[in-house]
Amino acid sequence: MSILAVTRREWTGRRNILLLALGVGVIQFLGVYFKPDPKTAQDYASFVGIFSGTMLAWVVALLCGATMVSRDLEERRFGFLLNQPLHPAQIFLGKVLAGLGLALVAGVLASLPSVLLSGLWRGVTLRDVGSVLGVGLAGSLSLLLLFHAVSIQVRSRSLWLLLDLMAWAVFFGVVRWLSLRLIAVEAFPEMFHLWLGLLVGVTLGLGLAGYLQVAQGRADLQRGHRWVSVTMASTLGLMLLVGAVDVAWVLKHRPPQAKAQPRSSRVR
Amino acid sequence: MTSQVEILPVACRQVGVRYGRTQAVAEATFQVEPGQVYALLGRNGSGKTSLVRCLLGHQKPTAGRVELYGQEVWTSRQVLMHRVGVVAEEPDAPPLMTTRQLVRFCGGLYPTWDQAGVDERLGRFRVPLDQPFGRLSRGQKGQVALALALGPKPDLLVLDDPTLGLDAVARREVYDELLGELAERGTTVLITTHDLAGIEGLADRIGILHQGRLLVDASLEDLKARHRKVSWAPTLAVNAGDLAPFAPLWTRAGSLGGEAILSQGDPGQIPGLQVHALSLEELFVALVGSESEVAS
Repeated sequence: MSILAVTRREWTGRRNILLLALGVGVIQFLGVYFKPDPKTAQDYASFVGIFSGTMLAWVVALLCGATMVSRDLEERRFGFLLNQPLHPAQIFLGKVLAGLGLALVAGVLASLPSVLLSGLWRGVTLRDVGSVLGVGLAGSLSLLLLFHAVSIQVRSRSLWLLLDLMAWAVFFGVVRWLSLRLIAVEAFPEMFHLWLGLLVGVTLGLGLAGYLQVAQGRADLQRGHRWVSVTMASTLGLMLLVGAVDVAWVLKHRPPQAKAQPRSSRVR
Repeated sequence: MTSQVEILPVACRQVGVRYGRTQAVAEATFQVEPGQVYALLGRNGSGKTSLVRCLLGHQKPTAGRVELYGQEVWTSRQVLMHRVGVVAEEPDAPPLMTTRQLVRFCGGLYPTWDQAGVDERLGRFRVPLDQPFGRLSRGQKGQVALALALGPKPDLLVLDDPTLGLDAVARREVYDELLGELAERGTTVLITTHDLAGIEGLADRIGILHQGRLLVDASLEDLKARHRKVSWAPTLAVNAGDLAPFAPLWTRAGSLGGEAILSQGDPGQIPGLQVHALSLEELFVALVGSESEVAS
């Protein structure tokens, strides 16, 4: 219940986002409705509707993530929550849920008019809806958590930011190197699995970092930053280790002919 | 002995707070007993806010231990906050939430929430319930914060400069509300304030922080009994040597006569000296006033 109370509190402060989303939806609707070529109007409507809805959801998630805790801390309003009998997990989850909910509703509001106009909903199964919502929500969650961590790192104005940048640079450098190794043996599905695994792992790490920032940093932005940095660096390191083991395993168990054959011979 | 320590509403032991190379609070040790009104005083930047943040579990002290009701605040904040009402220095409620929404939000978090009491208080303060918090006046924000802090019928009330920026009428209302609460429930209060005249009639015990150190931790009665304000006519020749046995904190002498605040002994034995009642403000200025003022 307390989580939902925090979620409601966050929603109250950000209701204007929904008006914006509705505005985007109506503008698209008008744009599609008055499109001169009726043959392409339906495709155009369904594409614009889903694309802009997803994009808007992600932008909303990004904005919510970037402001949900760090802005409260900077404006010295986080104390209001800390003065209530709320567990740090309730505060953090309440805020994350609010951001996700807003992103979802904003995305739906922005895409609904065009999707309805295009008639796309007629052939849509529950599974399709689930897939779109799932991708939208997973992307929103990752962006929300990432921008929460980034906003804490930037707003604390501490030298720990250098460690953060270094950790990300090393992470992307090693991921690129591992990916090139897989590309060299044409292990594309394995590369996709590697990226997906890293994304899930990093998102979980970001979630843990966000929780620890609230639980251990509380009203102290710089202390919170240190917790975010240490958790992030540890997560990235761990994920790289797991990724390297995975790539080594793939390379070791790949059939020898697959390693040697050039792409053109495989096509034939 | 242990059980006595455990029931103390507030116990700070050797608390230190450091920001980089700056020592904001050093070795602060004090305690607040049940039903007591403890006024923590200090100039701007003396470390009051850092200490209060540690007291509320917002910040981890770099040294020492802060306990509320026998439990360390940093580790037990959530449990302890059921018993603590807080009015922050800057009204920190979400600016877009209306008073009604704030009351609903806080009311859902406390099993002991006194809805009728909150409604009655807000009605008395004449606060518009459907106006966003951010659009209320400074005084109304303070009144809403006080009503919310008293809502769960707390055992301990922590007020961080609740009268800052309030006019005389709003200040009076805050103190009246506090007096009512004290008379009705005997709530323990820890208050930081710059309004020394206002708190003088309310505080049982005084702590004075200066440059991060707790200079004074004593009951107001003791302080007033120990310190004397004296004055003398211009015709009376009083010099520093005459006052030295009384450990003067502050002296001022000129063509209109002289004044001093003495920290020990009975100055009545010096003929011609007039002994006056000492206000908390005069004592505070004498203790933490600028060097030049003291030297003069």
